[in-house]
Amino acid sequence: MAGDRTRRRAWTFGVAALVTLTILYATVGVESGVRRVINLVVAPFSWTVNELARPIGHLFAGAINYSDVVAQNQKLRYELGQADVRLNETWAFARQLQQMTTQLHVPFVGSLPVVSAQVTTLAPTSFAATMDISVGRDNGVLAGMPVVANGGLVGTVISTTPHGSTVRLITDANSSVGVTYKNSTSSIVISGRGLNNALGASSVALTSTLRPGTVLFTDGLSGGLYPMGLPVARVSAVNLTPGSTTYDVAVSPTADLSNLFYVDVVLWEPGT
Amino acid sequence: MSRAGLPVLVATLFVVGVQLAILTDLRVAGVVVMAVWLWPFAVGLSGHTGLATLAGAVGGLCVDAHAITPFGLSAIIGVLIGWASSRLGREGVGDLESAAWWVSPLIGALIGLLAPAIYVVLGAVMLNFTLWRGSVFNVMWLNALAFAVLARPAGYAARLVTQLVPTARR
Repeated sequence: MAGDRTRRRAWTFGVAALVTLTILYATVGVESGVRRVINLVVAPFSWTVNELARPIGHLFAGAINYSDVVAQNQKLRYELGQADVRLNETWAFARQLQQMTTQLHVPFVGSLPVVSAQVTTLAPTSFAATMDISVGRDNGVLAGMPVVANGGLVGTVISTTPHGSTVRLITDANSSVGVTYKNSTSSIVISGRGLNNALGASSVALTSTLRPGTVLFTDGLSGGLYPMGLPVARVSAVNLTPGSTTYDVAVSPTADLSNLFYVDVVLWEPGT
Repeated sequence: MSRAGLPVLVATLFVVGVQLAILTDLRVAGVVVMAVWLWPFAVGLSGHTGLATLAGAVGGLCVDAHAITPFGLSAIIGVLIGWASSRLGREGVGDLESAAWWVSPLIGALIGLLAPAIYVVLGAVMLNFTLWRGSVFNVMWLNALAFAVLARPAGYAARLVTQLVPTARR
């Protein structure tokens, strides 16, 4: 009797699993379907742990870092004032640049619409540099769109759901960005070397005029992955190995990737 | 196994919650401590092979669902850790009462050291070679340190959870 019940339960479970997998396969694909189901199951637990841990964390952080927070607030107010001044000064230049780039038929990021988003989670492992953000397909966000924050390019949207997206950071080992710099006619490819590591620049010719401090912008090449003019990285060192035919260039992201709370998704599709 | 499975499953989901809500933000040199691997290790040391592999598989899959790394890779490592530590647990190695106090932290450190390396090697087998490019050695030694420190507390937590249902069979 008990054996019959167990067998019936196993059959029911098996048929239910098969039907679920078939539906997932037919609609969204097995892997993304499984990911979605797991996210749904895990979300309440993450939320509970977060709600329990946040007040405790804030208590400790507040007790230890209060003076730092006050100092940071003052600094931010000062920087906001400076940014306002610069915004007013550069308005005329931006307009000029927009007119020029329109005539040249290249997209200029200043004229592109953006969607603001909150960073919800960072990658849960050390092996990928990604983050999840709070806007998705319902907000017009599509895979391939660039994400900017804290003074520069942060990464690219790699997958979307109706209400969320996953962004691959420029420090991820699978990320590469074509960049150029002031007075340069050539492009350089910079690639990620993992979270918390500097970016790498490959094959920088000895004729290049790169100097420490040079800011690298997306090159906006036709059919490229990014619009022109997004600041990506700053050169931190230019070294020449004896016998080498290229410079060994160390670059660091212009955006502060360690403090990402809010980002902007540039509503620009690759190849447009 | 079936009666103790539910408490272990719920505890595993809470460990996943801790991993996602707390540990992803508490990075040291960009490294995340893998609590979802520590948990099957702790359950395994209590000698429950089925429960340890269940904890490893569920925890790993939940993390894989939130990462862009090969789906199922963390789960494979979790299952391996659970299985290996349960073998040791069945022999009484690393037992919280009878073994010397330093045995479980030592085993934890070894597992924390080896698990990221095996992860990267298996990633290469799955033709994902970019996992090498990160700071693998940082990940290895920081996880080894964290596993060594947390091995005994996690072991006590695992024992508590696996004994929630006293009639559960090993």
